[in-house]
Amino acid sequence: MSKKGTSAFVIQRASAVILIPFAVWLLFNVVALFGDDYYSARVWLSDPVNSLALGGFLIVAAVHMRIGMMEIIVDYIHSWLRDVLLLLNWLFSLGVIAAVIWAVYTLSFAG
Amino acid sequence: MAEGASSGRPLSPHLQIWRFTVTMAASITHRAAGVAMYGGTLLLTLWLVALAVSDGAHAFVSTVTQSPLGFIIIAAFVWSLCFHLMNGLRYLYWDSGRGFALKTARMTAWLVYGASVILAAGILWAGYAAAGGA
Repeated sequence: MSKKGTSAFVIQRASAVILIPFAVWLLFNVVALFGDDYYSARVWLSDPVNSLALGGFLIVAAVHMRIGMMEIIVDYIHSWLRDVLLLLNWLFSLGVIAAVIWAVYTLSFAG
Repeated sequence: MAEGASSGRPLSPHLQIWRFTVTMAASITHRAAGVAMYGGTLLLTLWLVALAVSDGAHAFVSTVTQSPLGFIIIAAFVWSLCFHLMNGLRYLYWDSGRGFALKTARMTAWLVYGASVILAAGILWAGYAAAGGA
């Protein structure tokens, strides 16, 4: 258990360091894309540099947020619900990662 | 809470017994912003998937993202990430063993609140100004 705690501590900080330089770039572009029409947004995301940076950010963010949410669950939930929530937390993060991989493939690499 | 005590694990501090300080507020805000982005990530992923699926799916999601409620959600997400990012830098600085002096910790907490609002406003302004021409 202590070893798992140590790796979560390290992964949480390593993922933070990866996310920091991309965060402002991501926010600016996503806000701009929300205002774009379908065609403009697809054109921007068809460039693998953009889609891989956005997708990569979301995947690292999913890893980071799973650990963050795990810490909150472990801190505040002390009943049998804890294990259920920890499992759902895993599934949610894995679901985000799978959906992002599929979307990036479809947007930039398929067809 | 009683179950936690009987399991022998350390318990978290009760949120309601703490005297207000800006450092504890920053700690709570850091977690709240993280939780908010957890939900926001679901919306962001749905938007990305909708773009990959079809024009119609994107149009459906756009009715939300381009509505007044959508603006509030987007602004909240942007500020949450700005705060979490800057306060995270503060935590990484702490990890290096520095910045713990009470005066420094208080000053940097205020700084994070102020700077995150300015950064979020700047990103929202620039993002909306660039929309349509991206």
